[in-house]
Amino acid sequence: MTAESPRLTIVTGASTPARIWRKRATSVVAHVLLIGASILMLYPLLWMLSASFRPENEIFQSNSLIPSAVSLHGYISGWFGLSRSFDTFFINSLTISLLCVLGNLAACSLTAFAFARLEFKGRGFWFALMLGTLMLPYQVTLIPQYVLFLNMGWVNTFLPLVVPKFLASDSFFIFLMVQFFRGIPKELDEAAMMDGCSPWRIYYKVMLPLSLPVLTTAGIFTFIFTWDDFFGPLIYLSDIKTYTVTVALRTFVDSTAESNWSGLFAMSILSLVPIFLLFLFFQRYLIEGIATTGMKR
Amino acid sequence: MTLSLDRRQFLMGSSALVAAGAFGATSPAMAADVHLRLYWWGGQERADRTNKVSDLFAQANPGFTHDEDFNAFNDYWPKLGTQVAGGNAPDVFQMDYRYIVEYANRGAIQALDDYIGKSLKLDDFDQDQIEGGRVNGKLYAISLGANSVAMMVNKDAFAAAGVDLPTRDWSYDDYKSRAEAFNAKSNGMRLLADGSQGGDPPLENWLRARGKALYTDDGKLAFDADDLVEWFKLWADLRAANVCVGPDDQALDATAAIDTTMITLGKAATTFANSNQLIGFQAVNKAQLTMINFPRPGAGVGGGHYRKPSQFWSVNPKSANLDESIKYVSFFINDIEAGKALGVERGIPCSKAVRDAVSPTLAVQDQEALNFVSNLGDLLGSLPPSPPNAAGEVATQLNTTAQAIAFGQTTPEDAGPAFIQEATDILARAATKA
Amino acid sequence: MTARSLSGSTASGERAAVRSGWWSRTWNENGAGYLFLLPWFIGFFGLTIVPILSSLYLSFTNFNMLQAPDWVGADNYVRMFTHDPKFFQSMRVTLLFVVFSVPLKLAFALLVALLLNRGMRGLPLYRAVFYLPSLLGASVAIAVLWRTLFAGDGLVNKGLAVIGIQGPAWISNPRYSLWTLVALAVWQFGSPMIIFLAGLRQIPQDVYEAASMEGASKWRIFWKITLPLLTPVVFFNAVIQIIEGFKSFTPAFIISGGTGNPVNSTLFYTLYLYQEAFSFFRMGYASALAWVLLVVVAVFTGISFFSSRYWVHYDS
Repeated sequence: MTAESPRLTIVTGASTPARIWRKRATSVVAHVLLIGASILMLYPLLWMLSASFRPENEIFQSNSLIPSAVSLHGYISGWFGLSRSFDTFFINSLTISLLCVLGNLAACSLTAFAFARLEFKGRGFWFALMLGTLMLPYQVTLIPQYVLFLNMGWVNTFLPLVVPKFLASDSFFIFLMVQFFRGIPKELDEAAMMDGCSPWRIYYKVMLPLSLPVLTTAGIFTFIFTWDDFFGPLIYLSDIKTYTVTVALRTFVDSTAESNWSGLFAMSILSLVPIFLLFLFFQRYLIEGIATTGMKR
Repeated sequence: MTLSLDRRQFLMGSSALVAAGAFGATSPAMAADVHLRLYWWGGQERADRTNKVSDLFAQANPGFTHDEDFNAFNDYWPKLGTQVAGGNAPDVFQMDYRYIVEYANRGAIQALDDYIGKSLKLDDFDQDQIEGGRVNGKLYAISLGANSVAMMVNKDAFAAAGVDLPTRDWSYDDYKSRAEAFNAKSNGMRLLADGSQGGDPPLENWLRARGKALYTDDGKLAFDADDLVEWFKLWADLRAANVCVGPDDQALDATAAIDTTMITLGKAATTFANSNQLIGFQAVNKAQLTMINFPRPGAGVGGGHYRKPSQFWSVNPKSANLDESIKYVSFFINDIEAGKALGVERGIPCSKAVRDAVSPTLAVQDQEALNFVSNLGDLLGSLPPSPPNAAGEVATQLNTTAQAIAFGQTTPEDAGPAFIQEATDILARAATKA
Repeated sequence: MTARSLSGSTASGERAAVRSGWWSRTWNENGAGYLFLLPWFIGFFGLTIVPILSSLYLSFTNFNMLQAPDWVGADNYVRMFTHDPKFFQSMRVTLLFVVFSVPLKLAFALLVALLLNRGMRGLPLYRAVFYLPSLLGASVAIAVLWRTLFAGDGLVNKGLAVIGIQGPAWISNPRYSLWTLVALAVWQFGSPMIIFLAGLRQIPQDVYEAASMEGASKWRIFWKITLPLLTPVVFFNAVIQIIEGFKSFTPAFIISGGTGNPVNSTLFYTLYLYQEAFSFFRMGYASALAWVLLVVVAVFTGISFFSSRYWVHYDS
């Protein structure tokens, strides 16, 4: 292959000076645009960072990004200010989020495999129903759902937040995986079937390994959605020692009474750290594409 | 599975489950080993104080344990509503003037009259604060502190513009007459926030001072279209004369949350608020703040203010520990040490003994709030009846209407009668579901 | 087809024959499908369907949360369409929002994903940076930032003043406030972008290689190969963004403080629903609103699925 490429490049004329120049220019333009856009994206983060170091009475009254006086008050009062120090909330959020990732990846991939690859009666009907559950706003299923969990004795535990994930309640990810699975060539399945593979082996040995990008995406998104979820933990958790980060953050600010804004922003910044770590760590699984087209061609 | 449950039973949950010891007390009759679920709104500051009181109560009542749960005001109501709907309401929870009628009429809070003098001591409690917790003559909630409406005033801005600070005598005309001098040096800041968009307190205050009111005893509107047109015209006038902020600025303050008010954003030198919020305002404002009463409708016209219960404790009628819950509430409002722990964070204590004990320990701005509420003088009028169901919805509609006028989408003359019609419809609709 | 190929296989001998017999039966009789769906069925029938049916029931009642629901038949639905100007206002606001924010969001997401897919230096960093706005989604910082940007004297207007344009008070003027929310939604294009990136990465490399070997230009490669192979993902993002757009709640909630103001110009449908449910104690009416929304969204989704036949290519 490599021996051929010099011949190819001459043939297609990809490396004439004009072309190289154009390539570099577009690259520079792209970078400039990207950097400019990045500033737009980063601005709120910078603002929050600056606010977390500011004295309380300066946060809403100053227009510049640089605080006039750097104070650690936000971080200290934020971390120790609630009845429990903030690590409690981090641990709670982490536990819930990781469990949800596990549940979603397992259950949604099984379900998506069925919808994407298996033939069975009523498939279209169940798929439509599955998608339909996405369309109802949560505000109106909240109370009946609460009553349901109350009758099961699950209120004030993590169970209502975690167990539904293991039962493929997240139609968003089922749909996502269906679309990705359908993008994987069917020949691979058929080849495996001819070797006598059961559906389970096809799922396990063929589908999953090839689906690393979508599984990573689903995992990261599940983590983030769960980490940021507020309403579920608000309703189902009543004891402050079980609170998640988002609920704890909300108690910092009360419109009717005194708020701890610098603490809020300080802890918000800290709560972004696990997500960033997650992102950076799992980057490579997102990058890995399909280098080959499969096992037997 | 669950599909076979009867719908009604399913939806209302099972209070048997609640009573079956899911939440602590094994035998309600025993005084020892009582576990109460408390729920309130507020920040950590309030939580710390409340927990201190709970600890004091535990010292006096060995075997007492409690769950502390609190959320911000806006998050409190959906969660409380959900819990009540599920039959899982806390034992003791905070109630607000806005919703007390709704909760009382629906049987979601316990009537307390039978307990007065027994578990509930109200001997030296302010009479008007007791009345504030009554609905249809029955006592449903105990006031945790009195506050009054008040304007927050930016002292530094007035000083910089060379205008004297507002006094208790100022009417809207007084603000108007000083506007020009103020605006000349204020760099865009105006004297007043737009009070027509401040919910119902400014309107109510203005109506009461003129001898009318917002609502009648039986929950109807106590003012008419002419009043309202005059009110809207007052503000249109103030807007045109640049006495108050323009609509673009006022619209930045959607909910009167402290951080988005005109005073904090630097758009106005005063803003309409409550007396117990001075500390909260000062915390996010660099300038030195003080408070004064709402502007009078005219010179010497008083009677608009009243001492409102800022928040209440209510008790869950289905609580497994009804008596203990009420004892807790009684301790909360009567015990001197508890009072000192609470300070005036929720409002001015309503028990005279507590008030006298707490007053010397207060910080300067707290003292200011206490003095303000205790010395309203001729500004003080009688306590109005609790707002009817759907008062909140009427207030929302009022804001929207006022905003429409400010943006030029309608005029005061048209909007006045239109609003009266809408408000009447809203109240009628809410009443029929009683 | 499958049964025949399985039973015809001679590769693994006796064990394969026995195993293939059992599996061919499972494979054939819908069993495999239902087996894989088992977790979903348990979840659906155990946890999901009852609250959904309850909410349908509640839509025919007056339910103030504090007392048992009260059957009123179709009253809620009738009132919605005859007596409720806020219903039409919120529908209008939401439709405008969806029509403008969804295509813009998808366009940006695809564009940036394509840009980032070139494997340039700093890709992981850029990817994280562009996802950041979505991460900050519901925070107070966003509300403050949007106010700083779009208020009458905000940064956007200051920028416009430099080139001589006097901008209106975007965020507080009823005529323009909705567009600041569209801007907010589009600014948070990180989620669909990540999904596009994953989709782009799933396109096998040798497809590209084969194409460049045949001398195809970059544009042709994109148009004839990348885009068609990407259509399943485009479809996903489109459908999801439409559904989420209709259900959009948080941007309006934090920017308008839950009021939908100024003058109901940011009254998203679910915001109105939330008000009805929790502020005005009309959970029954809110449920009716929710079911009307579901029908609208289902229609849009159905149209999308129907049209997908014509433009979505699944590899086969």
